[in-house]
Amino acid sequence: MRLTPDDTTLRSEFADDPDMAGIVALFVRELPQRLAAMHAALSANDLEQVRVLAHQLKGAAGGYGYPKLGEAAALVDHAVKEGQQVNVIRSRVGMLAAVAARIRP
Amino acid sequence: MTPQSSPLPKVLAIDDSELIHRLLRVRLQHEQIELHGSMVAVRGLEMARELQPDVILLDIEMEGMDGFEVLQALKSDVDLQDIPVIFISATASMEDRVRALDLGAVDFVAKPFEVVELKARVRSALRVQHLVKMLAQKAQVDGLTGLWNRTYFDRRLSQEVSESIRHRRPLTLVMCDVDGFKKLNDERGHPFGDMVLERLAKILQSGRGSDIPCRYGGEEFGIILPNTSGSEALEVADRYRRAIEQETWPSAVGKVITASFGIADISVLPGTQGVDDLIAAADSALYKAKLNGRNRVEAANINQSTG
Ligand SMILES: [Mg+2]
Repeated sequence: MRLTPDDTTLRSEFADDPDMAGIVALFVRELPQRLAAMHAALSANDLEQVRVLAHQLKGAAGGYGYPKLGEAAALVDHAVKEGQQVNVIRSRVGMLAAVAARIRP
Repeated sequence: MTPQSSPLPKVLAIDDSELIHRLLRVRLQHEQIELHGSMVAVRGLEMARELQPDVILLDIEMEGMDGFEVLQALKSDVDLQDIPVIFISATASMEDRVRALDLGAVDFVAKPFEVVELKARVRSALRVQHLVKMLAQKAQVDGLTGLWNRTYFDRRLSQEVSESIRHRRPLTLVMCDVDGFKKLNDERGHPFGDMVLERLAKILQSGRGSDIPCRYGGEEFGIILPNTSGSEALEVADRYRRAIEQETWPSAVGKVITASFGIADISVLPGTQGVDDLIAAADSALYKAKLNGRNRVEAANINQSTG
């Protein structure tokens, strides 16, 4: 089965808002670094830092027009808060990274 | 500075995420506000003291000091406790909301926020704050002339005296009294006297923006001149004196109305003097202006204020 681009990419709900274009583009450009920082914290077993980064993404992603990304970040935030096993947290960070990979301005 | 001046309302956002600050800057750019921001709670508190914002947008989860602690610090500071605080948080649990409101926050916006809702809540808080400020200001404005009243004058002068001493900045007080006002009132009636006071207030308001004209009482005005030396104040007061003398009155008045001025420069007073000494010095200079023929400006000097 071949997926059409619409199924694979997530565009900002505010893509057509000229006021938002600049900061949405910046958000998308910086997203890989945020994910990299989260992976690094995970490798260092710094779960609190994983949570802080996920929490900030959870609060902001929707504002940039990416609610699905916000939901995926919330799952990471909650997993750490609930004291889940590291492998659960790692798998949720993986899910978040998969959503992030589909993000376009 | 007169009671009418009202700059753009200031909104201070305290949130540890740069993403939120960028978003707020764009989303609130068309609002009639001046937006300031801090990513560090402690710095946010400092900025609140410097800016005296009209509304504070406050994040809950921040490293170091969280939003609840910031709110408590705000509420325990007399200069900051009346600033409305709106929490913006991704942690929208019922407990957090109740706690925030119990601690004195006026509102709560969940992140990610709906732009329309955010704007509406900010506007609503600003409206309430504007009314509160207006009422507070109304209690300090003279009903007849629209100038600051005596209550404001006393508070502001003592504030300016401390500032002047702390920062070694010049400060001069000008007292102004309408010449022969009692006679005018008796001959022409109180409505006429009121009209004269209103016109004089307009003239005193049309001076430099930094001058603070107040109605001291009756036909006496006190003008606080921050950052102004006695010699500069002499010129400023004389401009007011001439403007009053040159005012065109309704032909029925049939005479020129004048005022006398006494000025006191805080730096010519011996030692560190208080507000009362400054007022007394300006008043005795005013008395000298009356004795010396009215419609003139006299300055207090060291000999005079000590003797
Ligand atoms: Mg935060």
